[in-house]
Amino acid sequence: MIDCSGAGSSAPAHASGLAIETTALTKRFGRQTVVDGLALSVPRGSVFGFLGPNGSGKTTTIRMLLGLAQASGGEISVLGERMPQKLGSVLPRVGALIEGPGFSPFLSGSANLRRLDSADGFAPNGTRSARVSRALDRVGLGHAADKKVRAYSLGMKQRLGIANALLAPRDLIVLDEPTNGLDPQGTREVRSLIRSLADEGTTVFVSSHLLAEIEQMCTHAAVMRAGRLVAQGTLDELRSAGTTRVIVTTPDADAAAQVLRTLGLDPGHPDAPGAAVTATLPESIEPEDIVAALVNAGVRVRGFAVDHASLEDLFVALTGEGFDVVQ
Amino acid sequence: MPRTWHRWIPAAAAPVAIGAVVLGGVFATSASADPADKTPQQVLELAASSTVDTFSGTIEQSSNLGLPDVSGLGGSTGSSSDSSDGSDLTSALELLTASHTLRVYVDGPTQSRVQILDDMAERDAIRNGDDLWLYDSNDSTAVHSTLPADASTAPDASAESLTPAELATRFLDAVDPSTEVTIGDPVTVAGRSAYDLVLTPDSSTTLVSSVEIAVDADTGLPLSVDVFAQGSSDAAFHVAFTSLSLDTPSADLFDFTPPAGTDVTEKALPNRDDAPADGSVAPDAGTHPEPTVTGTGWDTIVELPASTDPSSLTDSPMLSQLTTSVDGGHVLQTTLLTVLITDDGRVLAGAVPVESLQAAAGK
Amino acid sequence: MSSSDPTAASLVARRTRRSLGVGFFASELAVLFRRRRTWAMLLALAAVPILIAVAVRISSSGSSGRGPAFIDSITQNGLFVGIAGLTIAIPLFLPLTVGVVAGDSIAGEANTATLRYLLVSPVGRIRLLVVKYLAAVVFCLAATLTLSIAGILIGIALFPVGPVTLLSGDTVSIGDSLVRSLLIALYATVSLLGLSAIGLFISTLTDAPVGAMAATVVLSIVAQVLDSLSQTEWLHPWLFSHYWLDFADLLRQPIEWSSFGQNALLQLGYVVVFGALAYGRFSSKDILS
Repeated sequence: MIDCSGAGSSAPAHASGLAIETTALTKRFGRQTVVDGLALSVPRGSVFGFLGPNGSGKTTTIRMLLGLAQASGGEISVLGERMPQKLGSVLPRVGALIEGPGFSPFLSGSANLRRLDSADGFAPNGTRSARVSRALDRVGLGHAADKKVRAYSLGMKQRLGIANALLAPRDLIVLDEPTNGLDPQGTREVRSLIRSLADEGTTVFVSSHLLAEIEQMCTHAAVMRAGRLVAQGTLDELRSAGTTRVIVTTPDADAAAQVLRTLGLDPGHPDAPGAAVTATLPESIEPEDIVAALVNAGVRVRGFAVDHASLEDLFVALTGEGFDVVQ
Repeated sequence: MPRTWHRWIPAAAAPVAIGAVVLGGVFATSASADPADKTPQQVLELAASSTVDTFSGTIEQSSNLGLPDVSGLGGSTGSSSDSSDGSDLTSALELLTASHTLRVYVDGPTQSRVQILDDMAERDAIRNGDDLWLYDSNDSTAVHSTLPADASTAPDASAESLTPAELATRFLDAVDPSTEVTIGDPVTVAGRSAYDLVLTPDSSTTLVSSVEIAVDADTGLPLSVDVFAQGSSDAAFHVAFTSLSLDTPSADLFDFTPPAGTDVTEKALPNRDDAPADGSVAPDAGTHPEPTVTGTGWDTIVELPASTDPSSLTDSPMLSQLTTSVDGGHVLQTTLLTVLITDDGRVLAGAVPVESLQAAAGK
Repeated sequence: MSSSDPTAASLVARRTRRSLGVGFFASELAVLFRRRRTWAMLLALAAVPILIAVAVRISSSGSSGRGPAFIDSITQNGLFVGIAGLTIAIPLFLPLTVGVVAGDSIAGEANTATLRYLLVSPVGRIRLLVVKYLAAVVFCLAATLTLSIAGILIGIALFPVGPVTLLSGDTVSIGDSLVRSLLIALYATVSLLGLSAIGLFISTLTDAPVGAMAATVVLSIVAQVLDSLSQTEWLHPWLFSHYWLDFADLLRQPIEWSSFGQNALLQLGYVVVFGALAYGRFSSKDILS
């Protein structure tokens, strides 16, 4: 695979550094506001995780980005162009998998892809077959190209959907829940596919309700909750927004807790003697000072750890415990 | 939502545009160049001097006689189910009450063809020299007659003996006591501008309110006839060209050979002139044997003696549906014509109210 | 598949100008005529004249005295079977199949979720409507031609064939009669253009293709019922089904073209109105399926 860096892609010169930008993007269905004042900034060349519980408005946002649904308010620009005004020139540069695959069951996988490719006015007819078979090979469906989609498993359909997004050279690929229905092997393949796309300089916008997925693949992420954006940035920025904890493993739990309190930390009350004592670490205190204080106080320290909060903690904190559908 | 309203503009505009085209067409036809003003005398002269004897065209005929549409009772599609005796009456009534589209092809006085375009069927009358053919595609029957040698020239001889001006004068003299003849606004018929000759009866007892005849400004050919009944603005009887071509029709059209499998009847003329083509044009064609005529002008009453087998009329289930019982017989009331069938079998008809017929019958 | 082994560079190449969508139209036709359903409908239509011919042949009574006269005349001339088949199929079978194709056009794509992928491919919404409509028109033509040709073939097989007697009583050659059969198939195709446009519009209203199909077929029946009621006479010239059976005017001598023209004009009116409605609906619709 040719590795062309992000700068080498066919981005227009006037384009900003953002592949997707929305301001105050809002969608209402009747009285219900599904997306509320969204301000997304997806940098070019990033692998951008779009995170949120089911029903938080991710798919509706993606539909608006791709011109399938009309925004009730706000503005969208994709690849530096206003949407949906420039739909016809922007979408050929965008590959998409939206809320699961959709194919004609009575056609074979390759016939489905050829059909969708012929719908793209900028796709040359001459290379269609070659591009279709390459896209199928790339998602590991080369063997099932001529099988009717009716006979595909859910995972195979999902791969076919991803293959559709790869039919033409793209500047942006939008993947809505790409690993749905895939087995662990398939999930790994998709992950490596996304990485290779990113290596080619393609901006990848991945939505998921699974945090681990985002954490493993993405450079950037945004978190949605009930139609609102609650966090956005690089993964490091997001992680640093979370808290750091110290974890002291000791048989002298009460004594350790006492030491921590004198340092100004709040360990709470240990659950049981012998359990770990934990406390949030303020930025003003260095971890080594705590260890020194504990040792000086005669606490038998068996283990000491500084734990940066996982994105999962952040995700739970931001979206509430519920991975349930937010109404 | 407010951004998308303009997408509905075409949907809103399309009917408006279509309406504009339709109405524009109507206005355009009515706005065609008006012919020069003429007096009734001049228009009649024009009509009488018309030399058009070669043309083809489509004629539409419709009636609003206040009778139910009897075509379902045994008209265009079901005439084969009637007995041959009843079918004459049925088809005559059908011709009067239903709407028809006809095509006529005329090439000189001896070659003509009239086609009545029925649904999925057609009735044809073809005259080629001395041969007269009647063809009905419904039951694949044809009637062939040979015209007597003099019949082909007789009507023309009398017409040609008069100049158009004389003919017009005579016509005006003939109708003068009972009828006012005026020229209405110019009209357009079959895309041609025409003079509208309006005949208004002076009589107060006739059912006819007026008769309008459109005379082609260019050729003098009558293009349409509308008969209006008292108290109605819609024509009770309407016949008009919808298209007219003055080109010579193809000679093949008059060369009729009954197709294989056709039931051909030879019929000697002239016993009954019931060719469907001409029975429909004259509203009161009284060609039945020995009629008695009383009254004058628009109040004329035609009386058929009892000898015409009244049972065939009164027993017809269709007639009993159409007629109402009155003192002294049954009456068939239409907007233009009243027919009284007396209990003793006489038939009186006229464009007058039933009281006039009863009075005439009582004499 | 990649027998030519194209280089990666050539696969990256893109058209500089957007194509007119001819390729997509061809692909749409291929999809339509690759469907088993399409073939089943065409076969069912072909069965109509075949059943008529076989039934008449078996009963072999010269005249049934019912129905249009030329059902009887097929025993005399097999070339009439196609026309008889069209006459039988026009009120119900043809609208049924056209309703299925036109009603399915957008709603079917929505139902299989292919609609959103077509739209982000991207095929413009107007272009998709036009291509879908044209495909439906091609189906109408295929349907009427199938009926006519099947009828003529079975007629030749079962009945004597010879010069054809027209409604006017004139007789025309076999060649002339085949031309007229083709014209009648074209007339029937034109007759279905309005219904196709209505089906397309209904199809943009729903994501349930069966509903759109049923609504289209029901409308075609309603129009014919209204056309037969004398109480709605003022409406008759405006009903899309009004001229459906006037193809008989093509069996006159000379051919009466006025009904062809009026029919075409009326159908064009329906195409414009319902095409505009479909555009209004579809271009402003949120694709949420």
